[in-house]
Amino acid sequence: MIIQLGSGDLSYDPGFQADEAEASFFVNKNLTGFTILCKQLLQVIFCDACGKTMFSDVSAQKNGPSLLCSPASEEQGPTFERISLPYELYSDRYRVGQRSFSRQYAHIYAARLMQMRPLLAERAQQKWGSNVLIKKLCDLEPGEQCCIVGTLFKRMELQPSILKEISEEHNLLPQPARAKYISEADELILEDELQRIKLEGKFDKDKCVTGSVVAIYGAEKNDGKFTVEDFCMADLPLQTPRPALSSDRFVLLASGLGLGGHNADSMLGLQLLVDMVTGQLGDTGEQSGAAAISRVLLAGNLLSQNTQDKDASTKAKYLTKKTQAGSVEAIRVLDELLLQLVASVPVDVMPGQYDPTNYTLPQQPLHPCMFPLSSAYNTLQLVSNPFEASIDGVRFLGTSGQNVCDIQRYSSMDSHLEILEETLQLRHLAPTAPDTLGCYPFYQKDPFILEECPHVYFSGNAPTFESKLIKGPDGQEVLLVTIPEFSSTQTACLVNLRTLQCEPICFTAFSADKDEENEMNISH
Amino acid sequence: MDELYLDNIDEFVNDHNKIVTYKSLSLTLGVHVNTAKQMLYHYLEHKRKESSPQLHATYLVTGKFVDNGQTCHRVSIVREDQLEDFKSKMSLIVSVHVYSVQKALLKDSGPLYSVDYDAVKDHLQNCSKYSAIQCPGAVPVSSLERQQALNAPNPPQSEPGNSGTNRETNTTSKAHPRPQKGIMGMFSKKSAVKSQNTSEEVKPEQKDEPAVVDSAKNKPAAKANPMMNFFGSQTAKKSVKAVKEEADQTSERKSPQPCEKSDGAAVQHQKDPRSKTKRAEDEDSEEDKMDKKKRRRIKKPEPDSSDEEVVPDSPPPQEALTRERSPKKETETVQPSNSHSGVKVRKRRRVLKSRTYLDADGCMVTEKGFESESYSESEEDFRAPKAAQREPFKAKANPGSKEDDKKSQKKAPASSNKGGKQASIMGFFQKK
Repeated sequence: MIIQLGSGDLSYDPGFQADEAEASFFVNKNLTGFTILCKQLLQVIFCDACGKTMFSDVSAQKNGPSLLCSPASEEQGPTFERISLPYELYSDRYRVGQRSFSRQYAHIYAARLMQMRPLLAERAQQKWGSNVLIKKLCDLEPGEQCCIVGTLFKRMELQPSILKEISEEHNLLPQPARAKYISEADELILEDELQRIKLEGKFDKDKCVTGSVVAIYGAEKNDGKFTVEDFCMADLPLQTPRPALSSDRFVLLASGLGLGGHNADSMLGLQLLVDMVTGQLGDTGEQSGAAAISRVLLAGNLLSQNTQDKDASTKAKYLTKKTQAGSVEAIRVLDELLLQLVASVPVDVMPGQYDPTNYTLPQQPLHPCMFPLSSAYNTLQLVSNPFEASIDGVRFLGTSGQNVCDIQRYSSMDSHLEILEETLQLRHLAPTAPDTLGCYPFYQKDPFILEECPHVYFSGNAPTFESKLIKGPDGQEVLLVTIPEFSSTQTACLVNLRTLQCEPICFTAFSADKDEENEMNISH
Repeated sequence: MDELYLDNIDEFVNDHNKIVTYKSLSLTLGVHVNTAKQMLYHYLEHKRKESSPQLHATYLVTGKFVDNGQTCHRVSIVREDQLEDFKSKMSLIVSVHVYSVQKALLKDSGPLYSVDYDAVKDHLQNCSKYSAIQCPGAVPVSSLERQQALNAPNPPQSEPGNSGTNRETNTTSKAHPRPQKGIMGMFSKKSAVKSQNTSEEVKPEQKDEPAVVDSAKNKPAAKANPMMNFFGSQTAKKSVKAVKEEADQTSERKSPQPCEKSDGAAVQHQKDPRSKTKRAEDEDSEEDKMDKKKRRRIKKPEPDSSDEEVVPDSPPPQEALTRERSPKKETETVQPSNSHSGVKVRKRRRVLKSRTYLDADGCMVTEKGFESESYSESEEDFRAPKAAQREPFKAKANPGSKEDDKKSQKKAPASSNKGGKQASIMGFFQKK
């Protein structure tokens, strides 16, 4: 089929990609205006065929009259209604009621292993045959090929240990914080309920982290070490299929707002974000597109690290008597910001590493008393970290990024997206808890084990935006999203619930030192 | 559309040398944001045709942008001179409109943020009113209702069979659709409206008070709302208690009264010294009676309703009720009509009279009509001992201006402890 547009021809077949179509369209330079129109036309024609519907496309489709004209008489602007979707919050898992810290952390590991052992046994049988021997460590016999299931422990020399630091015989000075604590001399050990055994063999020990429950296939050698030939993880849990949606609905994910910090540049970006979501920015097309944003999720670090008063406890009281904590003003600004948002869209607010809530995972929701203005609205939902909810049948699960950052420190993986996938494969949100990541001493349960596969799995406060759609062994489909830190990247993400795709939105402005081109990740 | 807006924008830009963004214009003029954007564009064209002094504008461009193979939706503010360049770099333009107009060339976009911040700050409660998206689910829930929802499992306390009074029912029935007239109403406009409605019904009992309270509430509601909310949770308990007391009082004071004004006129009067609308006739006598009664315990219920709105965290404003009654005496006629129009009116009209007397609790209360002074005085007075002080407090609270209320409220809490029995000390704080 040939489409004749202007001075060029365009041919397409079904399955033609939209960008290919544009590339083959030669434009007459004199028709620049026409060019733009045609590109838009092509987008409209092809994007649905490709199955990709970006927010820009949705907004462009409903183009209304241009706003570069005089106001029409007596005409009030159009008003779109915010789309409202069924929402269910699964908060019970991560709420800690009565807290008792007089317990040992061993109970979590016991609960973890107990819950994951049957899952791993099943996976092992699927992978290595149903007649594979699954043995406990105490029953191991040297030379026998079998499979063992247990918790990994990585002994790292560089791992900060408070016992070493305060021990006088070692005479160690406190070590500075490092980016990574892995080294060549690390050892992997597998522990089960009763015993532990050193592992060696062909596997990438740098990728493994303490606390992951795995199944290992190999044999015990005479020297007491277990030679690994293969290993497998619990992999994705089962997933209830998501409903087929008829129209495009979006959920906006943002994190790392960093209020109270010294980076004033991001405030304008934040204001643009709020204006866009509440439908003030843009013309009618954009506003109607924004009305399809059904929810906003703020994934942690609403306050900047600067608001953390490190020396509050050490400074003399007479010096700090009249000074207000840095977080007080920042929370007030946050409350005003949230008020603008909640008046127009339901918002879920997750706490992060620098927010005023408890430090250990699972972080409890921020208290509504801090938000006197915005908590008057029932669209404000203060939720825990990790967060799990179902929006219009699409299951969201994610954290504010502490678990990913911790794994990044203790393994060789650098990409947040890769780590996210790894945790999904391990079927555990935060395997390093409680070893290196603060965690509440649970007694008979480990709430971080994934029991149902989410459709959207995210982590906040990543350095850049990344997203990927992965498929599981049982037909699961998960969208992995790493939400970038807004204060440094001015970027947020939009997840399209219908197509399960994620698109970044970036907000830029101009400043004195930048002349023209604004790159995506530049904060002016 | 009349061209007045052109003059308005002109005034902002040229005379005040301000930066006019579409958002500040929309909030200031009360127009839809899209209209504001078009207004700015029109103004720009208009001025440029006239070759007036140099004007600069910034534009907002949104669209699709491809960066290293990754497409993103980009929203940017650009200077006018960068506009075309920017547009050419985008792969798909979704919208372009004027963002701001100013006299000086902006090197940095920082000032744009402060302009918007100030504009929004001034209109915090209705910042989304002129936007293009309305969310039907985003409804502010009054803190009162929330408290009720929280306290719902608690059975209503005390009221010994006072189901008749609205206040009681209001406070006790969480599911009660209307926020309590008295206490609750204070916290939100909605409740105020509702209270007013309910007060219609319960005229005899609360009429004036709730009405007054409500109206007073409505006025300061907007401004006081944030503060109210802040105090909401703290005062909720007090309100509940206050209401309870009120209920008690009410029941004692009068037999269950229907919402009819005619019923128990006398008693009602006592309760509602303020019911300006209804009672023009018995006021004097009733007020006196009520004064005495109120000082005892009956005060409690009524002051609650009126006081609550003004001072969320003060004890039930029963005393205030009685107080109000006294001043009301003086300005009766004025009040009835003003009760619904607002506290301010009442206050203005009230004659400034100074009355000093001893409460039942031995507190000295000085009333000066509805001056703010009397406010704080009464507030402090009744802060400590509930009974006696509620009256004056309530009286003052209602008619007082919002600022006064707030001031007195703030002072009252601070000085409540100190001012327990020392009314005179309170005088120091009043003048502020």
